Amino acid sequence: MVWNRKIAYINLSTRKIIRKPVPKTMRQLYLGGRGIDMYLLYNHVKPKIDPLSPENVLFIGAGLLGGIPCLGAGRCDVAAKSPVTGGVGDSNVGGFFGAELRFAGFDHLVVTGKSKKTVYIWVQDGEIEVRDAADLWGKDTVETQTAIRQNHGDEDIKSLVIGVAGENLVRFANVRTGMKNSGGRTGMGCVMGSKNLKAVAARGTMNLEFAKPEKLLDYCKEMNDMIISTRWARAQSRWGTMIIFSNTNTTGLIRTKNFQLNLLEDGQDLEPENIDRYSIGTAGCYGCVVHCRHRYVLKDGPYAPFFDEGPEYTSLGAFGTMVNVKKLETVLAANHLVNKYGLDTLETGGLIAWAMELYEKGIINDKMTGGLKLNWGNEEALFELIHQIAMREGFGNVLANGFRDAIAKIGKGSGYYAIQVKGMSNLHSDERPTPSFALGIATATRGSDHLRSRPAVDMYGLPEEFLQELYGGPVSSDYTSYDGKSRMIWWQERLYAVTDSIGICKFQTVFCAVHAPKWNEFSKLIQLATGMKFSKSQLMQIGERIYTLERMFNLREGFTRKDDKLPERYFKEPTPLGLPIAKGKKIDRKKFEIMLDEYYALHGWSKNGVPTKKALVKLGLDKEPTHMI
Amino acid sequence: MSEVRCLNCLKRFEVQSNAKEATCPNCKTKYRISWPTPTQAKIRGPA
Amino acid sequence: MQKILFIDPEKCTGCRICETACSMHHEKVCNPARARIHIAKWETAGLYIPVVCLHCETPICETVCPVRAIKRNEKTGAVIIDYNLCVGCRLCVLYCPFAGAGIDPLTGKVLKCDLCDGDPVCVRFCEPKALQYVKATRANTMKMRKAAEKFSELMQKLLAP
Repeated sequence: MVWNRKIAYINLSTRKIIRKPVPKTMRQLYLGGRGIDMYLLYNHVKPKIDPLSPENVLFIGAGLLGGIPCLGAGRCDVAAKSPVTGGVGDSNVGGFFGAELRFAGFDHLVVTGKSKKTVYIWVQDGEIEVRDAADLWGKDTVETQTAIRQNHGDEDIKSLVIGVAGENLVRFANVRTGMKNSGGRTGMGCVMGSKNLKAVAARGTMNLEFAKPEKLLDYCKEMNDMIISTRWARAQSRWGTMIIFSNTNTTGLIRTKNFQLNLLEDGQDLEPENIDRYSIGTAGCYGCVVHCRHRYVLKDGPYAPFFDEGPEYTSLGAFGTMVNVKKLETVLAANHLVNKYGLDTLETGGLIAWAMELYEKGIINDKMTGGLKLNWGNEEALFELIHQIAMREGFGNVLANGFRDAIAKIGKGSGYYAIQVKGMSNLHSDERPTPSFALGIATATRGSDHLRSRPAVDMYGLPEEFLQELYGGPVSSDYTSYDGKSRMIWWQERLYAVTDSIGICKFQTVFCAVHAPKWNEFSKLIQLATGMKFSKSQLMQIGERIYTLERMFNLREGFTRKDDKLPERYFKEPTPLGLPIAKGKKIDRKKFEIMLDEYYALHGWSKNGVPTKKALVKLGLDKEPTHMI
Repeated sequence: MSEVRCLNCLKRFEVQSNAKEATCPNCKTKYRISWPTPTQAKIRGPA
Repeated sequence: MQKILFIDPEKCTGCRICETACSMHHEKVCNPARARIHIAKWETAGLYIPVVCLHCETPICETVCPVRAIKRNEKTGAVIIDYNLCVGCRLCVLYCPFAGAGIDPLTGKVLKCDLCDGDPVCVRFCEPKALQYVKATRANTMKMRKAAEKFSELMQKLLAP
């Protein structure tokens, strides 16, 4: 059955491999993917270890519904203790690897220890081998995948790989699969690098069996029709996530020049419509009808020629607005470069934008940058700094350790200018006009993070009766209000935890579209696929369990309420630009703290953000770690 | 004809087919418009 | 008039829903390796080509089949294997120049598209319409219009002042 795929424990130090079935209890409590990964993280990673030591453990988990032909259900979750935040490390990646891992017979891989030599893990039809990776080491993320395919003589192999940045232990190195899909955040590529693990490759021809295959197939079609009928999905399937730029840059919700402005003036070249100049068509992940990325070719100009996919909205900020670059071609080229190196686009852009502001303020100078003129929009310096970060050379080596270390090293009040939470960079979104988003990045378990809870539907000014029905309590329809926003975040956290655990794409649930599949649809999909029955409230409780366990992991590592904060600038500097609704906005400190109190209370956590005994008992978490798997 | 949601006052308003620009009748904010599909308008940027 | 399976690779987004849905419909399990259709990918060039039986007018598979197990269904136009006759020699797999027939990795049987009795599940699931099941005249018109569009662009360039 589909829930009965195996978990494999792979010790890279001893080369011992153990295979076990995933017990049904685990499915009932955590579903799969991120949920089971978080259970494993809490149970297998000892407190206070160095994330780069062999004691850290890498978890790779496919979603419970991975493989079904709808809603992008091929996603894979990668987890470990984060070298960026020191807390929960977790990144969810699309593409085709997650589904292929299942066809190869496994849902979860637990990678411990450290290999003496560089290696890759080869998974095929129930078998696992640790193989020599000497010929792969030093290759970029695309070359590595191509070489693995050539070595095995099979073009349909899917691999999760690191680039040179991961080899060089850049803290925010990512894991990548295909041309574009990245497990970008929290430095999972760095953890792979620290284990001398270059790649995990999978190929499988094993059946995934379902409880009700015929009904499931029909319902998958219904789900695809449901998502593609939303305005959001239709627009996204045309221009990808770039379409967000039209709204945010028009309104004034987009970080520009690090955090000095909230929209890019004369930024027309970055508008999504311009991708048509380079696009040869769109591409979808496994089981996805939204196909939100472009396949693009840059034929002319200083960076040509090359082929790549994307760019995500994230890259428009990372190498566009935040560093004051106004040319799409430059963004495409920088996106291509970080992809090859295996760097998180968001963290890289966030750090470079910060460095540019420090340079402008005179906090760092030519001596420190090694002569790099970090002026706004200096493309040459931008590309050079990306190289330096990946290669750990010159000033890039300072940034390669992430915000925490770089702030400590540079000093001189540089921390004030860093737009980060828990050591992880924020997206190029400006949350000052949107208290709900601000609460989300302050409380997210993996640092400043828009993918743990962002209630994008808050932006639509929906009727309050509708919001009450959706969120199960009063929520203001005004996105600049603080009222009810803690409830919104709480609800979205649980939804996204479940979405990541069943292996479905967040864009195919209530992220940007209200009338997208959610609890009841997930419940029916799970039942038709696995035969297991979960009510809406049971699924919500699973979401709560996963999120609370993540919280417990962070608390065990020493995080407190003090870490659920925003950068000081959110309270002090009002937004200078934008439409009347977004201009002159900053976060009210007092209202923010009240919102945080409400948020803890909804979770059943104390004023200090610690889950109460009662809450833990209710979720069955009071005895963790229980070491069931 | 297609509807878009004004990014300033959040009220929906109608846009003429193939229009390249539109103004929100409620708050008078002016936008450039583009069309992901022939029947669906979206705001492209400020006019 | 008979319908044909019309493939437009330019529209394919490579999502592999067709493969999955095909295996679920025919084998009642999810396993793209057992599907009758596959997307051949050149990932680093962004090229995705659906590969499936083209149901030829003069099927080579029918010609080479030593036991005459391959016949056309006049209603749907599908070239179909009669598994009661098939001995599993795989000559059809060997000779088809379009890789229209494959081998089931689990059972060793030959896998070939049967157009799902006239309602191909892959077509039903293909959102970008890279796969369509249409009347031959309609297929011609679609090809014609696409070619004419290119021609019209060229004319406009020539006529531009």
